[in-house]
Amino acid sequence: MRKRGKNRGMESKDFNRKSTKKIILVGNPNVGKSVVFNYLTGKYVVVSNYPGTTVEVSHGTTKWRGKNITVLDTPGVNSLLPTSEDEIVTRNILLNEKDALIVQVADAKNLRRSLLISSQLSEMGLPFLLVLNMEDEARERGIKINYQELYSLTGAKVISTVATQKKNLEKITEELVDLREATLNISYHPALEEAISQIAEFLPEENISPRSIAIMLLSGDKSLKRWLHARLPESRINEIEAIRRSCQAGFDQPISYLINQVRLEKVDEIVRRVTMIKPIKRKRLSTRIGELSVHPFWGVVILIGAVYLLYQVIGVFGAGVAVDFMEETVFGEYINPFFIRWTGRLVPVAWLRDLLVGQYGLLTMAMTYAFALILPIITFFFIAFGLMEDSGYLPRLAVMSNKIFRLIGLNGKAILPMILGLGCATMATLTTRILESKRDRIIVTLLLALGVPCSAQMAVIFGMLSGFSPMMVVLWAGVVGLVLAVVGYLAARYLPGEASDFVLELPPIRLPRIGNILIKTLSRIEWYLKEAVPLFALSTFILFIMDKTGILINIEKGASPLIKGVLGLPVETTQAFLIGFLRRDYGAAGLLALARAHALSAEQILVALVTMTLFVPCLANFLVIVKERGWKIGAAISGFILAVAFTVGGLLNLILKITGFKI
Amino acid sequence: MQFNWGKRKPHCHIRGPFCHREAETRDRAIDELLEFIWNLRENGVSDVADLQREASDPEARNILSYMEQEGLFAREGDKVYLKEKGEEKAREIIRRHRLTERLLMEIFELSEEEAEKEACKLEHILSPEVTDSVCTFLGHPPVCPHGKPIPPGKCCTAPEKSVRPLVMPLNDLDPGAEGRIVFISTNFPARLDKLSALGVAPGSIIKMRQKKPSPIIQVGETTVAVDPEIVHDIYVKAV
Repeated sequence: MRKRGKNRGMESKDFNRKSTKKIILVGNPNVGKSVVFNYLTGKYVVVSNYPGTTVEVSHGTTKWRGKNITVLDTPGVNSLLPTSEDEIVTRNILLNEKDALIVQVADAKNLRRSLLISSQLSEMGLPFLLVLNMEDEARERGIKINYQELYSLTGAKVISTVATQKKNLEKITEELVDLREATLNISYHPALEEAISQIAEFLPEENISPRSIAIMLLSGDKSLKRWLHARLPESRINEIEAIRRSCQAGFDQPISYLINQVRLEKVDEIVRRVTMIKPIKRKRLSTRIGELSVHPFWGVVILIGAVYLLYQVIGVFGAGVAVDFMEETVFGEYINPFFIRWTGRLVPVAWLRDLLVGQYGLLTMAMTYAFALILPIITFFFIAFGLMEDSGYLPRLAVMSNKIFRLIGLNGKAILPMILGLGCATMATLTTRILESKRDRIIVTLLLALGVPCSAQMAVIFGMLSGFSPMMVVLWAGVVGLVLAVVGYLAARYLPGEASDFVLELPPIRLPRIGNILIKTLSRIEWYLKEAVPLFALSTFILFIMDKTGILINIEKGASPLIKGVLGLPVETTQAFLIGFLRRDYGAAGLLALARAHALSAEQILVALVTMTLFVPCLANFLVIVKERGWKIGAAISGFILAVAFTVGGLLNLILKITGFKI
Repeated sequence: MQFNWGKRKPHCHIRGPFCHREAETRDRAIDELLEFIWNLRENGVSDVADLQREASDPEARNILSYMEQEGLFAREGDKVYLKEKGEEKAREIIRRHRLTERLLMEIFELSEEEAEKEACKLEHILSPEVTDSVCTFLGHPPVCPHGKPIPPGKCCTAPEKSVRPLVMPLNDLDPGAEGRIVFISTNFPARLDKLSALGVAPGSIIKMRQKKPSPIIQVGETTVAVDPEIVHDIYVKAV
């Protein structure tokens, strides 16, 4: 193992190159890393994708010994032998970020799992500070930790904090000097040790110890493939693989599992020696709520209550009251007239004026959409989502719906993007990243685009349906639900790839901290504006071009046989469908206008609504699908949806005609 | 373990007495014939003609008459029936065979064919103590994987307390009960890695929090919701 200077932090050259010095926060999920991160960095937080992946990593700056240095908040991990994309990213950060100050944030009441990661950091030869957070929760559960003993057994500096109360957080930066390598080193079965040292011999000097990389390779970690190919010749890589294979042949359990078991044994021994548990009999209220929220009966009641609350906050208040105010008052009376007035005065060229403030103007249409229509909705959505996230309810929602999603070959985690989809499918598509397998992500992306109406569209749809008997609502929801179930089932059956396991940790139910929610919401809004606004501008621009070149009119003409013949709808609805591609709710609004003018019968409205709901998602959603899944899948999904929407709409029309059904 | 991948009838119901080439010794041949008679009887047949057809070669006939002399079975007209001594012996063989089948198929996840093959070997060599341990380990199962009854042994009629299985799938643990993980049987290494990173590994005390709508397990202060298949794969010893 390489020797490291004991006083790395004191070396002056590190201070001069402030860009290289970083504080890296690592730890299990839900241990309070983000709270520590927010404390250290304040509001100067940037959330961006880790290069080459879709995993988000937050970074910001903090003052450390009089200098500004970068703080990285890595995704939560359970092991640094990666089993998920999040874990790969965290491991890669440790692999690539040279000379960083590592802070392991740990859950004091869950020392066992925390030390599992500590042992891996120690194996990597990385000095780190162990922050035992949530010391209050541990105390409530009667868990007492002997820090002195823990220090002498692990060699890692230990401090205890309560991040949500800012207790002891100032100590983190104070203690970051003089970090020592931990001594939590574990030896494995002699045959494994032999293979580890053989492989380690081949490996180049790196930021983390060759031994740790050798252990990862021996465990069959495929995520190191690129790294390996960039550094070693093919023959060496084959040799390593041969060592691994012959080593594995000597054991009937996977090597990674054997290694984990030895680590756990060692960790268990330490935990036994440093903790004292006085069992506390009294069940806390939060535990009780947590139990009820996954109860077969009460869990459903709570779920319905939560969804209703979401609907009230996002749908009624966000998409209703707030959007009305922003669109009609703020933009309609002040901002847009202001832009139109000033553009009229300052821009003499007519087409340029149109581009800025015309029917498909960048300022009037794109900005109104982005800021007046979507921003209020997603702001409330982010707040509600943050509350559910921080209270620990979200994973419990997944527990409640696992059974239903298993019917179509997915698992409960799929509900999270689906619920988001009721807010905005574009955003929801981005959150399919929480799903583990590529296959699951594609299926959920498809279902979102196909038939999960966004809140804006939903408002218009309900507006339209409200004038008719409840039968209409039942039929609309039934047909859309059936199509979703059938398509989901078939996609899960025929798409290649394994269904991913449902293994989801349930954090304790907690009272969310408002400050933390606000910081989270703000950073998400910032992220939304960066991701979505350019898309809105682009789609408006495309529409502008299509309008000016006359393509728009031609598409309308070309599509009318389909609309009239297959769907049995008047030609005027073509435009509604076309605009529906730009924004789903605008399409629906177009239908609403026609319905109000009594241009459509009840049956026609049903056909039109079903087709519109299933129809291609809005352009922003389409572009996000392409961005996340690539052109091929984006095109395939869109083509498929188009076919399904018109087939189902056509069939529905046919059935209604043949049976002479009257709503 | 070494397997001989030969082809044979994968059935515990009716087998020819000389289905194994390896069953060469007289004791084994006797075991096989007793087992055969037991199986015939279970299927409602006790025709001497069947037995004779199976035991057509001269050596088998020798053994049959030897067995008759030894008082293991007797004929009455064209019917065959086991005498007390033979009944006892056959019962033990059947018990060993069917328990082994269960062990191999359920715990070691061998295919039906492999399990049958191995059970055929083990039925001759398991000691009564080991047989009872296997029986207890499996929780005194009443039937073999094919649904045929397993004759109960001494261990099964022991006081209620010891009848509780030593090791059982986590799924059999009542909600709220705890067990120590003995092993995790799964064909998905990724699943093992994920579970052990969460602290779910042999040696850990695990609590079954609930089974519906989704199983929830707890190890220490870690609560995890999992797929039902996963709780079937985790074997625990009740504590």
